[in-house]
Amino acid sequence: MKSGETMLPRARIPYGTWGSSYFPAWQTSPLAEVNIGQFAGEASSRILGIRKVPKDELEYLVIGSTIPWHWKFWTAPLVSSCLGKRLPGYHVEQACATGLQATLVAAGEVQNGACDVVGVVTFDRTSDSPVGVFPERRSYERTVALSDVWDNFGFDPATGNAMITTAGIAARKYRLDRKEVDELAFHRHQQYFAAKESGFLGRFLVPLEVLNVQGRALGTVDEDTGVRRLTLESLRAMRELDNCVTGGTQTHASDGMAMLLVTSPEKARQLSPRPEIDIQFIAKTEVRTLPSLMPEAPTVTVQKLLERTGLTMKDMAVVKNHNPFAVNDAIFAHVMEYDWHNMNNTGCPLVWGHPQGPTLTRVLIEALEEAVDLGGGYVLVFGCAAGDVGIAAILKVSEGR
Amino acid sequence: MANTSMRQSTLETLGLGSVLDIFARGQLPVTASDLVDEVFGEPARRGSLVISGANGIVGAGKAMQLGSRLRPFDVPIVALDFANAPDGIGKHYGGLVRAFGRERASKIMEGITRLSYDGKHLPPRLKDSQPRFLLEAIPEVLDIKKSHYEIFRAEFPHIEIRSVTSGFPSSQLGVPIAHPAFPHEVNKVWEIIEPQPSRITQLFWALGLIPTPVSDHWSFVLDVLFCGLTLAGLRYHPATNMPFWKIDKYIRRQLGPNPFRAHDAIGAKGANFLTWSCLHHLAEHYGDLFKPTEDLDQRRESGQNWYPPNHFRPVVNWKMQDGEQTEFEAWISGALIQMTSLMLHEARAHLSHLNIIGELCAQFRHGILADIRRLGADAAINTVHAYQVLHPQAAKSAWYPDVFEQIEGVDWQQLYVNAEHDGSVGVITVGRESYNHDVDAELNRAIDWLKAARVERVIITGDFHLSTQMIGADTDDFFPALQDETKGRDIARSWSETARRLHDEFRCSVAFVNGKRCLGGFLELMMHCHYMVAVATAELGMPEVTLPVVPGMEGCHWPFRKAKPEEWPRLLGLLLTGELVRANDTVGWLVDYAGPVNEALKTAWKIVTEREHDVPRRVVEDGPLKGLGSQVSDVAGPSGSDADAARRAIVDTVLASCQATLAESIAIQAKHSARFMTGEHCRRGVVGAAFKKTMTV
Repeated sequence: MKSGETMLPRARIPYGTWGSSYFPAWQTSPLAEVNIGQFAGEASSRILGIRKVPKDELEYLVIGSTIPWHWKFWTAPLVSSCLGKRLPGYHVEQACATGLQATLVAAGEVQNGACDVVGVVTFDRTSDSPVGVFPERRSYERTVALSDVWDNFGFDPATGNAMITTAGIAARKYRLDRKEVDELAFHRHQQYFAAKESGFLGRFLVPLEVLNVQGRALGTVDEDTGVRRLTLESLRAMRELDNCVTGGTQTHASDGMAMLLVTSPEKARQLSPRPEIDIQFIAKTEVRTLPSLMPEAPTVTVQKLLERTGLTMKDMAVVKNHNPFAVNDAIFAHVMEYDWHNMNNTGCPLVWGHPQGPTLTRVLIEALEEAVDLGGGYVLVFGCAAGDVGIAAILKVSEGR
Repeated sequence: MANTSMRQSTLETLGLGSVLDIFARGQLPVTASDLVDEVFGEPARRGSLVISGANGIVGAGKAMQLGSRLRPFDVPIVALDFANAPDGIGKHYGGLVRAFGRERASKIMEGITRLSYDGKHLPPRLKDSQPRFLLEAIPEVLDIKKSHYEIFRAEFPHIEIRSVTSGFPSSQLGVPIAHPAFPHEVNKVWEIIEPQPSRITQLFWALGLIPTPVSDHWSFVLDVLFCGLTLAGLRYHPATNMPFWKIDKYIRRQLGPNPFRAHDAIGAKGANFLTWSCLHHLAEHYGDLFKPTEDLDQRRESGQNWYPPNHFRPVVNWKMQDGEQTEFEAWISGALIQMTSLMLHEARAHLSHLNIIGELCAQFRHGILADIRRLGADAAINTVHAYQVLHPQAAKSAWYPDVFEQIEGVDWQQLYVNAEHDGSVGVITVGRESYNHDVDAELNRAIDWLKAARVERVIITGDFHLSTQMIGADTDDFFPALQDETKGRDIARSWSETARRLHDEFRCSVAFVNGKRCLGGFLELMMHCHYMVAVATAELGMPEVTLPVVPGMEGCHWPFRKAKPEEWPRLLGLLLTGELVRANDTVGWLVDYAGPVNEALKTAWKIVTEREHDVPRRVVEDGPLKGLGSQVSDVAGPSGSDADAARRAIVDTVLASCQATLAESIAIQAKHSARFMTGEHCRRGVVGAAFKKTMTV
């Protein structure tokens, strides 16, 4: 692949047609009480309404979620009904890679000429996650009950390790220093609050009032509740859960949705409030690392992606990742010889939480907004996913076309 | 001097003369008994009413409504339908029992004979019932309807036919039209299309129904308004993505109706089709203003409800942001005003009819013309222009801004209240069942008009047509007063001042209660007249305590000032229980005469023309009343803390206003009424709940 050549020349993300709910920490908001698929559909319609995009423009819907929700069997057609437009479509699931993967497969739908406007709606509710009951004739219990979020966080069946253990193992492998990891986490919080106070987050995060079954207000989701203003001292004082991992240097479970559109170039110009902004897909790749080294997977993936595209980190205007552990960023910075102060400039999942399905969608939206502020350039978005997987993509934002 | 009127009485559109004539003659222009004989034949040769398509929604509803009203005259009713039609009539029996009791319901059903046919041949037994009047309610297919009339005419050449069609003009059908409004078993309004008012139309009136003549165009006034409003909401939907359920609530706040909820309540499958059909025909004739949207096309096919199913009750609320409300008003009101301009241009109906149909049949809070009048011609035209910017296709046709040049004319200005006089006696007629700011303003203009003609004697009454009862103040007008005491005081004070004009500015004023009931604010208005004459069976009452509110139009002192002290407990009982009483039982302490309708008419006329009569004039006491004690503990009434509080407030108001002079009492009553309205008891009651449901979106 030549440097900067796009892999999906027909696909675009129309600037400013996207939006996300805030991501309240699990069990802290009315989102804990809703069918999250229904919420995501209705919220998408609301976001498109605010963005002045008629929902009738949508031709297809790709949804992304990782936690079973009521009536998930009906996947995208059901979510689209809640959005108010009966669309075909399907469901993408790849743990925390879901948001980016769903966007990329939507781009594939546009690229292959199947449609001109594809909605990407990603969502998850970690609160009160369902418990599956599985007949397992080989297990001595005969029947196994599994709490979808917490039992999976705690146990990778392929390795037998918990997620948090992979962070500890990776930190040991790269001989990370707890002091640096705390400083990194502190910096990430400062970046988030600076973005929030500047009004940056308000450009794409949409306050949404949630109704109860009687139609009365249950509350408004208008904060990333659970995000605390941590001091460096408090971070340093936290008990270590595993090597370099504390309550302050790992993310928290949260609920939410995020959506965007992927379209043809013509439709992007038609639907975007700023048609002069062009957002293209350049390249994407995935890598699976050795067992229980999930936090290094994104770094390895980015290495591969740069190698394939011929681009370098110096070419990247914006670098942003899904980082459930601060360890992820520290490894990335060491291996890529990249100053971790220069990435995740407007916040990241380490700070604002981890609702899985929509996580990388919000990361992508934030990264694109940041790139527009910078006048364009290459945008590197990447992250880790369950199973020691890394995913990375490069997009290109240009103006004035 | 010949009779003259502010504007044409709506009664005249039925060929029934003027209201002044009714009083001058001392009798109603026609009677149901005479008209039944004319339409169905003398009792010995009584023919039948045939309702075809009798198991459909319209047919079954009208079988119940006309069956119950024609039962006293022994008119047989034949309900005709296909053998395999689902039993629509049986479905209504429960409602009939609830309305009339089991015995009367059974009697009504006894009068209905159900016959089946194949659609091509009439059953031989039909002849036995001597059909005289066919009310056709079969499916909306023009050719089928026409052949239906042919087979009836072939068998019964003199039969009168009326189609209930949902949209075809009479010129297409070849028969006159009697198009009823939903819900068919209870709604009294029919839009009538016929060259001249017929005996059938007059019979409908005599039976207590509300026939309203309209011109022969595609669709009907109600359908243009209701389907048009639905269409306006449908167009707003793709423009903003706002879901239908939320658009419905904003429409309700703006105008009153819930068009999407109504479709679901009626049955989306049928209602979606009828709305589509209405709009489709209108679009063919008048252009894109009426073109059904893609959503309606789809739901006509699918019959899908507009509101989400119960298991998908909405979770994300929608609230309008800055500027969106103005755009919403343009989408909704702009479309309606443009559609109304078309109906005005075509002179589809008497303006009072055109105005009131939406209120009586589609839950419009105000008539469409009253709303446009309030807006003013320029603002109305600008609203349409704003709509046409949003929906440019609408600008291509069916837009007649010139019609609003007449807005200052009397036909526009007197939509609800009319006045007639013969040079010495005037009659003021009110054509709205509840008293609101529009009625108040129009009543003042009617009084001014009579005063300008030096008319010193006046009767105030219902209009014998559109208003079949007077149910009191329109509580929607109280909404601003729930939060602002000065607003409540202004309403109570200004409406009381209007009422006092009936007492102060005429040598003789007579209130004539001719409908089923006269309650609350309307009763307070009427009691200001020097005399009150009522049909004996009319029910009177002051139900404010049940809402609860405190009466604001001087009901807490005016009647006491006219009654003897020994009658005061009765008046207090009326106020504190909210119970209704027959006019017959209130002679001497509330009304001055009660009797059969013709006797009451004659008596009212005698009084107002100052001929010999034996009805004493009760004088209003100017000074403070003495000896009025609190008897709240002795009076039973609605229970609960809110009602208790209202009773206490009413007693306080009675004591305070009666112990003042007449001049002082108007302000005292207004203050007490307004203060209670801003309190927690009123907010928790009917008015507060209506406000919350309607205005907080």
